[in-house]
Amino acid sequence: MDYTEHTKAENVAQLGWDPEDPHGINPHHGEHHHFIADWRMQVGVLAILLFFTFLTVAFFRVEVWAEVAFGIHLPGWVNIAGAMSIATIKGILVAAFFMQLKYDKVLNTFVLLFCLLCVGLFLGFSMIDLGSRHLVNPMAAGEISTGGTGVGLNSAPADEDFSVRMSPKVNTQGMGIIYEARLTGTDNKDHHYWGLEKFRNDPNHSEAEFWEIHYGDHATHRDPMDEHDYFTQLGFGHHAEESDANKSRGRTGMTPGIFSDVAVDDHGAHDSHDDGH
Amino acid sequence: MSTMTDTNPTDVPQSILKSPKHWRNRIAGHHWRSGDEEFDAAKLGMWLFLTTEVLLFAGIFCGYAVFRMMYPEAWANGSHYLDWRFGAANTAVLLLSSWTAANAVRCAQLDKQFWLRVNIIVTIACAALFIFIKLKFEYMVKLGQGKAPGTFFSYPHAHDAHEPLWWSLYYIGTGIHALHVVIGAALFGVVLYYAKRYQAYGPTQYTLVENAALYWHLVDLVWIFLFPLLYLIH
Repeated sequence: MDYTEHTKAENVAQLGWDPEDPHGINPHHGEHHHFIADWRMQVGVLAILLFFTFLTVAFFRVEVWAEVAFGIHLPGWVNIAGAMSIATIKGILVAAFFMQLKYDKVLNTFVLLFCLLCVGLFLGFSMIDLGSRHLVNPMAAGEISTGGTGVGLNSAPADEDFSVRMSPKVNTQGMGIIYEARLTGTDNKDHHYWGLEKFRNDPNHSEAEFWEIHYGDHATHRDPMDEHDYFTQLGFGHHAEESDANKSRGRTGMTPGIFSDVAVDDHGAHDSHDDGH
Repeated sequence: MSTMTDTNPTDVPQSILKSPKHWRNRIAGHHWRSGDEEFDAAKLGMWLFLTTEVLLFAGIFCGYAVFRMMYPEAWANGSHYLDWRFGAANTAVLLLSSWTAANAVRCAQLDKQFWLRVNIIVTIACAALFIFIKLKFEYMVKLGQGKAPGTFFSYPHAHDAHEPLWWSLYYIGTGIHALHVVIGAALFGVVLYYAKRYQAYGPTQYTLVENAALYWHLVDLVWIFLFPLLYLIH
């Protein structure tokens, strides 16, 4: 790369000092060169990137065609794996050759890789959380809430054969949205109760099954929604223990007796306190 | 790796020969030992900034993944509403502009001032074409059909209750990306002004060209992933 040398000599001759090393601290400056990409390589990378764009679209089109023409339904992961692999190859090409990470200081590559590691953790833990909630509570599996519109799949269909559903726009019947949500129960974020409705309405399940699972997780107190006292019926009553000096029990709900009427003898308490002195 | 066609450095007009903004006259800040150190530090800073950009878009990608897992029907329907031809056209436009951005850096390194300007102009033109395709054939058409985000959704033939959520993610993802396209084009506009007015970028001084190009490549990189996620995966 004699061009830089030439420029440097020219600069020094013209200006009397080296603009790349104004303080004259680094006399070996000329030994370091920035990488200048070959234009043929750049054209080649662009051609490969455009080819991969064509390839990913072709992959998508062939998949659709196979389904329409022959009824071959490829599993969803084939679609995702194909498209994402090609995108990753394209991304590596752009980062390595256009962003010149291949010829750059390794530090910049590590900065990017560390960032991608963080993205991986971010995505990975979100997926692990979402994908394993049903292991903690079966009711959390599948569709988790009715989404941002407040109206779910059970909104009224727009035609007789149920093929078209109403636009799930929120209709609050003229009420304030919070009031409407309270009235219709759509603000109830507790998926246990949501599951309770599901189990009550499902002919293949019984309400007892719901409480069996529910108390399996939260066996310290009877749930206020448990109107038929499945808590006692299913034998969870013996779990209701109080905390003592050696163990503490997780508790939700109200402390028993907190609002019960207790006669407090203020005068007597005051007297006994005074006796201590 | 220079070739025969590379060795045609530009003559400097007398009017800007003595300008402190001309690349030959620009010097490293006094707190740097050399121009190289200043360049490397600026580039490292740019890479650190790019990681924050990647994390910004990671939020959108994570939202995509979570909602796709929760509402697969809505996400399959959503990608069917999008026309892959516009997505593919925009991908080609951005790849081409990424190539011209890389060439702009190369031309600055070789002091080819005319081709530096040409490459920047083509990059900005590609940015304008990208935004035009996005607005004219995608946003305007879809908003006209009622395929709007969240509570603005009024498309009467939706098949899944969560399609408004899909459109929210679509507009947020492509919208923030389009904003980056506009910012990148504006940055190249600044580079173009100084390149034309002062020949401010040359073999020893091309930091802003390099960093603008890095920003542009990141915009391209994000679209490389947004395109298959939104248009092709169903």
